[in-house]
Amino acid sequence: MSSSQILKGILEGCLLSIIGKGETYGYEMIEKLNDYGFSMVKEGSIYPLLLRMKKEGLVATHQKPLPSGGPKRKYYTLTETGEKELIEFKQRWDAVSTSVDRLLEEEG
Amino acid sequence: MILSKESQDFLENLRLYLVSSGKNESESEEIISELEDHLYEAEKSGKNVEDIVGRSPKDYMEQVAGEMTFDRKGIMKYGGIIIVLAFSYLLLGDVVRGGIELSLLEALGYPLIFISFTLLTAGLFRHLASSKKNKTKEWTLIGIVGMTPILLFLGLIYLNKVIGTPSVTFSFAANVITVIATITVFVITALWIKSLVTIMIPALLYLPEVLLGFTNYGEETQLLASTIIMFGGLFIYLLLMGRKDVNKTGAL
Repeated sequence: MSSSQILKGILEGCLLSIIGKGETYGYEMIEKLNDYGFSMVKEGSIYPLLLRMKKEGLVATHQKPLPSGGPKRKYYTLTETGEKELIEFKQRWDAVSTSVDRLLEEEG
Repeated sequence: MILSKESQDFLENLRLYLVSSGKNESESEEIISELEDHLYEAEKSGKNVEDIVGRSPKDYMEQVAGEMTFDRKGIMKYGGIIIVLAFSYLLLGDVVRGGIELSLLEALGYPLIFISFTLLTAGLFRHLASSKKNKTKEWTLIGIVGMTPILLFLGLIYLNKVIGTPSVTFSFAANVITVIATITVFVITALWIKSLVTIMIPALLYLPEVLLGFTNYGEETQLLASTIIMFGGLFIYLLLMGRKDVNKTGAL
């Protein structure tokens, strides 16, 4: 199983968490993901995901002009539904990661 | 700093792909400008378009399109206008050539041809936008898609002669009403799209024939003159339009 397959379901939760830390835009999300070690995430792949998250009402967007005066930039914030989803993701992730850790440690 | 040629090409192709997939225009522009912003930042740190969208632009375009809603309202609006325009244009031609005689087969066949041609063209654009460049293959496909309506029209004309379906012959008054209706359609669309093209094309195609009909020249002279004026006029008009477009993009 490649890491991109494992990531598929997790990435949405990670984006919720990043956006939950304060409004942000696409490129900055990728930089933050990289800072946390997610170098396996293909940069462009977050956009189809963000489109879906917006459709599901998890995130809201607004345009802001750049300080340099260039074209407008699209910023994301969490909606109430998004915040609830983030809490649920954390719980689900805790359960999964503890179980996986426990299982793999035994093998060690 | 401006975007590299590869990134610009990718964004243009994505736009074409989304539009020909029937996606909402403002939604498409939103994701395109977002990706433009990303590519711009990424190129500053020395990355290229392949680092962002992966090795297959086609897969990426499909992924993006898959998350976007199909713009049914917009498609119905534009599709409806195209069918009304095309029908107006055909009917006006019939009037010029001596009056409308429309069979059931034609009334159903023409819209079907327009719709299938539109769908084929959209499919072609999607393919051209997402596939690797191969000039021979591209031109073959464009040729095939371009020939299809001509073949379908010929087929329809032939079938119409062979199979007798109920038909109506328009009276003089009905012909006059049709002319007024079609001209109204051309003027309204011209106002709406803010371009004279929907007036100029039918005018150039039909006016010479109509006006020369009032003169005393022989039939052959009339035919020759109207053909020359028509093609000459179209050529000059399209040339002028092309030049206007170049100026527009040049100014940007």
